Amino acid sequence: MKSFQYATAQTIESAHELAGKKGAYLAGGNDLLGLMKEYLAEPDILVDIKSLPGLNTVQPGSEFWTIGANVTVAQIEDHADLSKTFPVLHQAATDVGSRQIRNVASLGGNLAQHSRCWYFRHRDIKCLKKWGTTCYARDGENQYHSLFTGNPCISPVVSNLSIALAALDARIIIQRDTETLRWSIADLYARAWDNPTAHNSLQPGDLILRVEIPHQDASWRGAYMQVSQKADFDWALASCAVAAQMDGAKIIAARVYLGSVAPVPYTVPAVTKGMAGKTLDAGLAAQVAQSLLADAEPLSQNAYKIPMTRALIQRTLLQLIA
Amino acid sequence: MPAWPDKPTQIGKRTLRVDGRAKVTGAAKYTSDVQPKGCLHGMILRSKWPAAKITGINLSKALQIPGVKAAVVVREGSRTVRYYGEELAAVAGLTRQACLDALRVIEVEATPLPFVVKEKEAKKTGAAAVWENSPNLSKPKVNEKGNPDKAFSEAAAVVEDFLSTPVQLHHALETHGNTVSWTDEGVIAWASTQGIFSVREGLAGNLNVEQSKVQVISEFMGGGFGAKFGPGVEGSLAARLSKMAGAPVRIMLTRFDEALAAGNRPSSFQRVKLGASADGKLTAFELDAYGTAGIGSGSSTEGGGGGAEFPAPYIYQVPNTRVQHSGVSVNAGSARAFRAPGHPQASFGMESMMDDLAVKLGIDPVEFRIQNDPSPVRRREYELGRERCGWKEKYRKPGSSTGIVKTGIGCAGASWGGGGGGTKAEAQINPDGSVEIRCGTQDLGTGTKTVIAIIAAEVFQLRPGQITASIGDTRYPPSGGSGGSTTCASVSPAVLDTCTRALQELQTQTGIPDARGSHWLEACKKLGVNPLVVSGQWVKGLSSSGVGGVQFAEVEVDTGTGVVRVKKVTCIQDCGLVMSPLTCESQVNGGIIMGMGYALFEERIMDSESGVVLNPNFETYKLPGIADVPEIDIVLLDMPERGVIGVGEPVTIPTASAIANAVANAIGIRVPNLPITPARVLAAVAKIKAA
Repeated sequence: MKSFQYATAQTIESAHELAGKKGAYLAGGNDLLGLMKEYLAEPDILVDIKSLPGLNTVQPGSEFWTIGANVTVAQIEDHADLSKTFPVLHQAATDVGSRQIRNVASLGGNLAQHSRCWYFRHRDIKCLKKWGTTCYARDGENQYHSLFTGNPCISPVVSNLSIALAALDARIIIQRDTETLRWSIADLYARAWDNPTAHNSLQPGDLILRVEIPHQDASWRGAYMQVSQKADFDWALASCAVAAQMDGAKIIAARVYLGSVAPVPYTVPAVTKGMAGKTLDAGLAAQVAQSLLADAEPLSQNAYKIPMTRALIQRTLLQLIA
Repeated sequence: MPAWPDKPTQIGKRTLRVDGRAKVTGAAKYTSDVQPKGCLHGMILRSKWPAAKITGINLSKALQIPGVKAAVVVREGSRTVRYYGEELAAVAGLTRQACLDALRVIEVEATPLPFVVKEKEAKKTGAAAVWENSPNLSKPKVNEKGNPDKAFSEAAAVVEDFLSTPVQLHHALETHGNTVSWTDEGVIAWASTQGIFSVREGLAGNLNVEQSKVQVISEFMGGGFGAKFGPGVEGSLAARLSKMAGAPVRIMLTRFDEALAAGNRPSSFQRVKLGASADGKLTAFELDAYGTAGIGSGSSTEGGGGGAEFPAPYIYQVPNTRVQHSGVSVNAGSARAFRAPGHPQASFGMESMMDDLAVKLGIDPVEFRIQNDPSPVRRREYELGRERCGWKEKYRKPGSSTGIVKTGIGCAGASWGGGGGGTKAEAQINPDGSVEIRCGTQDLGTGTKTVIAIIAAEVFQLRPGQITASIGDTRYPPSGGSGGSTTCASVSPAVLDTCTRALQELQTQTGIPDARGSHWLEACKKLGVNPLVVSGQWVKGLSSSGVGGVQFAEVEVDTGTGVVRVKKVTCIQDCGLVMSPLTCESQVNGGIIMGMGYALFEERIMDSESGVVLNPNFETYKLPGIADVPEIDIVLLDMPERGVIGVGEPVTIPTASAIANAVANAIGIRVPNLPITPARVLAAVAKIKAA
């Protein structure tokens, strides 16, 4: 990797100042160090943010729960109250990588991780995402790629937690220069929808501080499921997160998001809004699955994701009444 | 002549590995652990072009990087590279980072050439030529026996399909590599190898040094699967860098490199046609197959059998056959021998068609095999195995399993040689009673040291822990390469002969009529000061070759998501006299897990546009993880009268075929391509729905 300076920040202000526009924040390092080893990221300075105060706690609240950006995926997985309140988040955390990875992976890092597209990750391929001229995957090996996108790049979002947090309508708190931004998950990924070089909406120097999840009373239920080729330690071929306020089997409000099928956590608001007032059963689940995938644009090798995701959506929805 | 004991006390016991503690504590030193004084890191610059004319390589900037001590080109003068990842140059330096920096400033003058990386494209007329003077597709070799056309026309049932198997990568957990010191006194190479003497021969030849001045050491190594016989380009480069730098140099390939230039199993594309009479006798077989061994199309490579051909109609005898094979070159790294070269491909095509034909004839697939398999050992294994796994209760009409997640069961058989030979050993018995057995073999990970200790302990009536087994050094008496499942059958007779002779000599010298066991210390003491050193060698009659094995696989197929999970594999394997069931079963477990990877996950994926390997890591080159491993039930046929036979290769052959047959049984339609991915399962399921 390219040589770099290393500093440990003690305050958010100093972290921000040290990183400047050409630095990178180091938390778990799972993604960043891999990018650096392949010369895909060449920061001048690595700013270790693991010691920043207040970023490594999970705090319940009457309005919303707060999870610091440095909380590890394993902590989310193991947190009994969090898991009970937001099973969708717990399940999504459990399916991240391996336990070794979850032990060091941070919430912030999981949300900000870059594309896993094998063309993007290849050291000798300059693809569209790396400011090249071609998306090689479009006419190439696209079995792991998107069914929906607003731009020529077809690399999907692979953050499990983003899919679950989207379903939970979470807010993400970001420090940008002197400003504190409060984004939805949709905001966090919006730029990746239509800009092939972006994988999220963050700019150089932006620091994710924490995530806020609106409190849910007992009428809310949630589920997350993913399909992977291997039984463990494998990326999702497709994932689905659902959170719904229910009255028995009747849906009051529902959010359904899909992962690994688009550059953003994917949903169709008209479809999910239409679920309100209906009774959740196998028929509705099949209908919702069909409608969510109606606009899918499969490529030469990823059409299998349509029946797979259809089955997945139905199963995830039916978990709510299981 | 020595003989295996009728009532052994050590042989056949579940003996723990004598080097297990050293391995798990890190005390065992592998090639990458060896730290000779002043050892430098070495790294290789590889071609970024899938094909190019190389007209110049300038190393001067690399040599100016602080910490860099040497740099060499692989070959002087202009040359053509034929795949992405072919070796161009190498550097040695004080740190890995210095080497990485140096690689990035080497200037290469190259003119890119047209290339082709996919078999189907390479076959077409007008495709880029991998080699200038020969077509990509080799002239087919055709073998015909009897009258297949007539036999097919008279057959009661005929099945036909187009099946394929992928290029599989060896991916031993320890990558290829060597630590080499080349001084005026000679060359010492710590090699991760399956053949210390073949590395010695290769290095001596490449470096133009007498073989007597080359010592190769491989005390521990982390797997090879057929891809680690010679020194490799990396071994010779490490030696040349060492000479230039005046210091030892270590080059270990990276995981990325392993996907490019360290061997693979050739792909296969097989049109298979099989016919039988109404009473279930095979009458006609036809195969038209091609596959790629990378740039090394069709030819054998070191270790043997690296070509794209495979035996057909595999383990069956069919009176009328037509078999046609060709190799197709592509711009990718060469194949090398890979655990049972040719057999998994052969098994997959043939055993798939056996099942489809059995279904068409309305005969139970196990019964159909028993009717047609010429091997009495395998017929017995099928009978044992179907009882053991509950075949009769579990086998149902294909596709009749109800629900979204369907269950299925399938079987397949395999054959392998596995004989031994060409090994010498020596025993040194010391006056204090300690014993060292020396043999110039190497341990692929199969437990060779443990086997040596068991046999010596058996002869001397001691405990295996009292024996020091010294292997992996070309100063020891020679043994062959660890390929073809021959190590155990080569080493065991040589050690038995050596120890038997040593015991006789000890008894003669000391006048103690039975020096074994409780008399051991007393006898050894009588040796005085000098140890007793006795040589022996492999002798006939203590080992044999030719094994059969059958496997039964049980699967669950999720027809909603296409995901296949293997629930259980039952393996009935013939392997002669078992030295230790623990090491033997460990081979079986590994073979089945590898076969399962071949069935469901593994495939080298090349990109047509850029010519690179897209999955040069364990993230996207998927291997079975511990959560994927099924219950494995092993029955070793006890046939001590056959002597020692290797088991490493046969046990990986039928696994993928049995799994593929189980999937077909579950969903009622064949997935004819390995690996059986969710995409392929869903495509097959969609065909049923559409029909």
